[in-house]
Amino acid sequence: MSILLDQSNRVLVMGITGNYGKFFVTDSGGYGTTVVAGVSPGRGGTDVDGIPVFEGARAACQATQADTAMVFVPPPLVRAAAIEAIEAGCRLVVATADEMPVRDTIEIRAAAKANGARLVGPNSPGIISPGKAKMGFMPSFCFMPGPMGVISRSGSLSYESSKRLTQAHIGQTTVIGIGGDPIKGTTAAEAMALFHLDPETRAILYLGEIGGAEEAAVAAYASQPHAKPVAALIVGKTAPPGKKMGHAAAMVGSKADSHAAKTRLLAKSGVLVCKDLTDLVAQAKNALAAAA
Amino acid sequence: MMILEHEAKALLRSVGVAVPQGSLIKSPTRLPKIKSYPIALKAQVRSGGRGKLGGVIRVNNATALKAGARKLFNTTFGDEKPEVLLADPWLPFERELYLSVTIDGTAEGYVVLYSPKGGVDVESGTPPARYPIGPASQFRAQGFRAVLEKVEKDFQLREKLIFLAQRLVETAAARDCNTIEINPLVQLKDGSLMALDAKIVYDDWAHYRNSDILDQQKAERARADKYLRASLEMGHMYVKLDGDIALISGGAGMTMGAMDMIKAAGGKPACFLDASPGPTSTRGYKPAFQMLDADPSIKVILVSVFGGGTHMNRVASAMKENMAMRKSKKPVVFRLDGTYVDQVPAIFETFGAKNHPNLESAVKEAIKLARSA
Repeated sequence: MSILLDQSNRVLVMGITGNYGKFFVTDSGGYGTTVVAGVSPGRGGTDVDGIPVFEGARAACQATQADTAMVFVPPPLVRAAAIEAIEAGCRLVVATADEMPVRDTIEIRAAAKANGARLVGPNSPGIISPGKAKMGFMPSFCFMPGPMGVISRSGSLSYESSKRLTQAHIGQTTVIGIGGDPIKGTTAAEAMALFHLDPETRAILYLGEIGGAEEAAVAAYASQPHAKPVAALIVGKTAPPGKKMGHAAAMVGSKADSHAAKTRLLAKSGVLVCKDLTDLVAQAKNALAAAA
Repeated sequence: MMILEHEAKALLRSVGVAVPQGSLIKSPTRLPKIKSYPIALKAQVRSGGRGKLGGVIRVNNATALKAGARKLFNTTFGDEKPEVLLADPWLPFERELYLSVTIDGTAEGYVVLYSPKGGVDVESGTPPARYPIGPASQFRAQGFRAVLEKVEKDFQLREKLIFLAQRLVETAAARDCNTIEINPLVQLKDGSLMALDAKIVYDDWAHYRNSDILDQQKAERARADKYLRASLEMGHMYVKLDGDIALISGGAGMTMGAMDMIKAAGGKPACFLDASPGPTSTRGYKPAFQMLDADPSIKVILVSVFGGGTHMNRVASAMKENMAMRKSKKPVVFRLDGTYVDQVPAIFETFGAKNHPNLESAVKEAIKLARSA
């Protein structure tokens, strides 16, 4: 199995006629994702590579039974498009955009909660269940199906790490990019809980960074008696305090934000902490061995 | 981005929060006429810990004002010198409190923080009481009251704090502030509250709906040198470090991962530079190379990009163009991986570049070149 996404998700693309939308239809459709509809106001009735385009999400969902939305509109428009998809009945909405005002994310998260839906993102690569479906632009060759659930705050780091796992023949159930922003559609704690319930996920790899409270949630999960084994890589050891390292949430503001504090807390909670990227595969293997 | 104290106070005043009636000093030779001493003379800088670094002076007369202003204009706080000072009346107060609104992941939105003891040592004291809200519209007086009842005995003060906090939360949402912190918030003799200091952090990405943020970004670029300015205009995220191996990378996590690996392998990273150009543009690499080539502390440039939406054939072609344009002889080490990486070797062959198969080998090469430079 996998979490949140497989071939059965019927995907609606918000902003399907833009460059990102068009590339997604080709790339993700080729991977196996079931893309059924697109929305582009003013272009209803046309199609993109045979995928029908609608004026709005409600019409698209009614005509195609879409239940999942991929949002590819410019950052100022993401809030409107994501909430439109949620209110049209989509239960999973993936928004990869960075440059999103935090207030907009807060409002999308609240709308998702009120409608029993889930947001993944923003400022995230999206989500991939290897061999089944992907929602995002991740390079497919870096992934293969297998027993490891992967959670990442950073897109490119999730590609790098997944490629290392795949080269070592460690496949993944699902790789979820929770994103680099302070407010997340899906938090590390929520992703851990989903992987915990997935019978095929035997161990979890968490890719974190300095700043924020996600790592504390990972530690809290790992210290529970029936937790699945967790390995973690935390980047930003060399980041100076008080500086925002690209991601809005990646800043050492207090002592708890630092690399040292986070890795200490994780190790104390039983997490297998990777020394650096080079150590990643070894710790992932240790986590799988602990699951056996 | 963080704005200056006097700018933050002007914003608070505009939403009805009481602040001292201060005056601005823009030069040590053009001092205002102060009607009543003492005053608090305050350096206007963005770096934290100003009070502990001597950035706030109590001034009792015009002679002391002249000396104090000269001193503050000539002091560097963190990495900045004040361009303006704020002269606030020195007010007697009964109590110093702490009140802030900020963004918090576990609150799923805004959180209000309150401490009955404010002032410069607030971070080392008891952690403040938390009222998690979520979206701004979910602020409830009774919710914050329940939190305050545990830490604040004065019921009249509690009600004033609730009234003020709600306005701060609404302002944070309406004006896209990720943090509004009042420390100290003081209670005057008559029981009223006044913000003696204020820190506001704007959400950079809300620039299209808040002209104050746009103006702040323009001013930030104007303060940068011409190389950094060009890079900021491309939307790059840049943090200078003290090493000699510069990094052009894509994605914040991968950039930090590469920095950490350079350090672990015995090298010294010279910067964090996230230059993710997106799938349709590679223009951003040109100002990045110009900035790093002009920096004399940098000996080697390591280009490490692992792209999904960023296509490696485009990045490789952009590298070819940039290498042809460069005048600098600084060596460049490449490690590209991700979407369409299979097309990279053929493009690199046309200008004699080598693509390293993994980060470890690229980092090793960069360190070797830095040592021999």
